Order: sequence, then C-alpha cells, then structure tokens
Amino acid sequence: MDIKAYIESGILEAYVLGGLSEAERASVEADIALYPELLREVEAIEAAMENYAASTPIEPPAHLQEQIWSAIQVQQRADSDGMHDGVPPVQQPVAESAPKVVAFEPPAEQAPKMSWQRAAVWAAVAVSVLTNFMLLSQRNKINDEKAAMAARLDSMQAQQSHMLAKVEAYEKGRSMLADTGMKTVVLRSAQPGKDMTGMVFWSKGTGDTYLTIHHMPMPEKGKQYQLWVIQEGKPVSMGVISNDLVANAGMMLKVPMQVQNGQAFAISLEKEGGNPTPTEVMIVGAI
Amino acid sequence: MAPSVTYSEQELVLLLKQQNQDAFNYLYKNYAGVLYSVIKKTISDDQTAQDVLQEVFVKIWNNIGQFSAEKGRIYTWMINIARNASIDKLRSKGEIMKAKIQTGEDAVYSVREGMKTEQKTDTIGLKAAVHELKPEYQAIVELAYFKGYTLDEIAKTLEIPLGTVKTRMRHAIQLLRKHYSN
Repeated sequence: MDIKAYIESGILEAYVLGGLSEAERASVEADIALYPELLREVEAIEAAMENYAASTPIEPPAHLQEQIWSAIQVQQRADSDGMHDGVPPVQQPVAESAPKVVAFEPPAEQAPKMSWQRAAVWAAVAVSVLTNFMLLSQRNKINDEKAAMAARLDSMQAQQSHMLAKVEAYEKGRSMLADTGMKTVVLRSAQPGKDMTGMVFWSKGTGDTYLTIHHMPMPEKGKQYQLWVIQEGKPVSMGVISNDLVANAGMMLKVPMQVQNGQAFAISLEKEGGNPTPTEVMIVGAI
Repeated sequence: MAPSVTYSEQELVLLLKQQNQDAFNYLYKNYAGVLYSVIKKTISDDQTAQDVLQEVFVKIWNNIGQFSAEKGRIYTWMINIARNASIDKLRSKGEIMKAKIQTGEDAVYSVREGMKTEQKTDTIGLKAAVHELKPEYQAIVELAYFKGYTLDEIAKTLEIPLGTVKTRMRHAIQLLRKHYSN
C-alpha cells in the first residue's frame, strides 16, 4: 500500500472527525492496526483536534460538581445493591372500574391479598437492602479506622528506630570520650561568619574514626561534602559525606576508611562524588 | 493558591480506578472545563449541555474499568465520550424541540454568516489562535467534529463536491497541527 498517498487522501482526518460511514470506518481501523505510520498520523490529528476543542475551556456552573458527584453516588449505590429503578409502587388493582358496576363481587379479594404479599416482599427487600447498606458503611468505617491505626503504628515505629539510633550515637560518643585511647578532634569553621562545627573521634590504636557535624548547610544540588585527613601536609580523602548526615546533624557516622596517622581532619565542599584534592574547605581541626 | 498535585495520563487512570471522591474532584477540576466546552460546541442550550456533562462524567466513571491505555490516550477517550454524548443528544429530535438546540441548519447558517462577514467569531466561538482558519475550513471541521456530520452530509449541506470536502478537511487540520506544534 502507498502509505503516503493514503495519508494525503484525507481519509484519516475524516476518520478522526467522525465523517466516515460505518464500513469506511471499519476499513480504516483495520489499516491502522496494520501500519504504525497510520496510527502515528491519527494520533497527531487527534492531538490537533483535542487542542482545538480545548482551546476555549468554558467553566460549567459551580454547583454542577456537587450535583454530578451525588448523581454518581446514587447510581453506584443502586448498582451495588442490585436494584434498578427503586421500589415500584404497590399495585392498585382495577379499583377504578370494578367497584362501579359490581359492588359486591369479590374480585377485589384476591387482589388485595396479592398486594399485601407484594408489600411484604418489598418491605423485606427494603429492610435487607437497608441492613446491607448499614453493614457496608460500618465495614468501610472500620476499614478506615484500621488503616489510620496502621499508619500511626508505622510512624511510631519509625520514630522509635530514629530515637534508638540517636541514643546509640550518644552512648557511643560518651564511651569514646571515656576511652583514653580515643582522640577527640574539634573541627571549626574555616569560613568567616559561619558557625559550622564538627567532631572527629579517632582511635590511634585501631584506626577507627567517627564523625559528627553540626550547623552545616545542605549542599546545593550537584555538590557534596568530603572528609579529609591531612597526612605529612597532604590531604587524603576519606570519602564523600552523604547528605543524610547533613540532614541529621549530631548523628554519629563511622567512617569506613581507617586512619593510621595524621595531623588534621577537614571537611570541604566539592562537586558530587568528590574531588582528588579539596577546593573549598569548610571546617578543619588539628589533631 | 493551595499546593496541588498533577498526574500523568497513567496516574490519572489509576487514580480514577480508585473511584473515590478525591479522584472525582481531581477529574472535575482538571477536565470539566474542556469537556463542557466540547459539549457547548455541539449544544448551545446551557441546561441541556449541563445535563450532557453529567451524563459524560457518569459514563467516564462507569467505564474507566474498561479503559485500556493500549487503545489510546485517556484524554482522547474522554473527549470522544463528550462528543458522542453531545451528538447523540443533538440527534434525538425530542430534545431539539424541547430545548431549542442549535440545529444543523442553524449551524450552517451561522457558518455561512461567518463566511460573509469574515470574522463573526463570537457566534462560532473560536479562540483568536484559530482565526487563521478560513471560515470555509472551519465550517467543515466543526460540522464533522462537533455536529457529527458525515462527509456526504457536509458536501450536500455546503453544496460543494465531496472531493473538496476531503481536501479542505485535510488542509484545515494541517494548519491546526502546525499551529499547535509551535
């Protein structure tokens, strides 16, 4: 098939605009299913027409939103109860013509009985529907409450683990302060006017290093803090500090890298992922 | 303005499938204006147009379960529901009598008016952006898309050959595509 000629014939436009007969329509749909180029063309035409149709949105009156939502609910309720047009009126059998002619005839006898039975059935149905509806709404309420409780439990658990981590950090800090083999290095701001501080606990014996930071601003996008140890006058990178630590000031971070010797620790601001040498030193402290 | 969230097409489908009031409010807030303007292009009577809008929302609500993204965009799907409901309403004669809907004849008349007076855009209700579409092009697009006319019916109503209807229709949409791609 000559796709180009097909597209240029204008039949796809007529298809999207709804100008084709049923038979033509079916044939175009079959062609679209076969050729992706046609589908793309149809989508472009649809998009243009949607833009055209939407070019002057007219706001419907404000009360409609409420009205339509109630209509949807009423209809949904009817669906879920398996009812259709509500309860039909209880039948009033032939009462208009019959009594006029034969006043004492008993045809009315059977009919009222029928209507009484019908009324009973409809009443039973109504009660059952009402009960179902009440039970359903009760169940929904309980489900909602359950979800709310679960959410509260979740947030309490999160808070608890957060607090445990904090307690652990303080414990560690305290035991490290008590450890005579542990050196405490206070890092102070190298940037005038900013009261950024940090503390490094360093065990000369094991090489273990722990870090906490305070008052350090969150690095802008694409930047990260990097930790350095100065050895023989040369900075050696100890890794890039995740922004989680910046967000949780006071948290104790065990630096994965071990330090055997050094004269100072420093933190600098670098591009994301770090640099081989520090460019902008933020805080520094001599050992 | 209150902080708000926006959803992608896919997220919107998921949202609507939740079938709760928040989903409805989002749908209404973001699409009622567009759907109503589509309906109003077919049906000029306000009350009838509002009834159709309600029908359209109920239809979207009830049929969202059957909507599948493979068949196309949900936006296209919703606009087509609005068009079809409007055209159905327009065609049901009783409604025309009752509500004095703008009939095909009225539409053609106003379109012809438009041709004569060049730009009587208020009666046709088009945005400035679409002014460049010549009236004879507009007539074809509007009769087909908003009034549900077939090519044959358009040819007969406007008294132009069927081939001309087709080429003008394509040309008009080329212009629209170019306009909206900018």
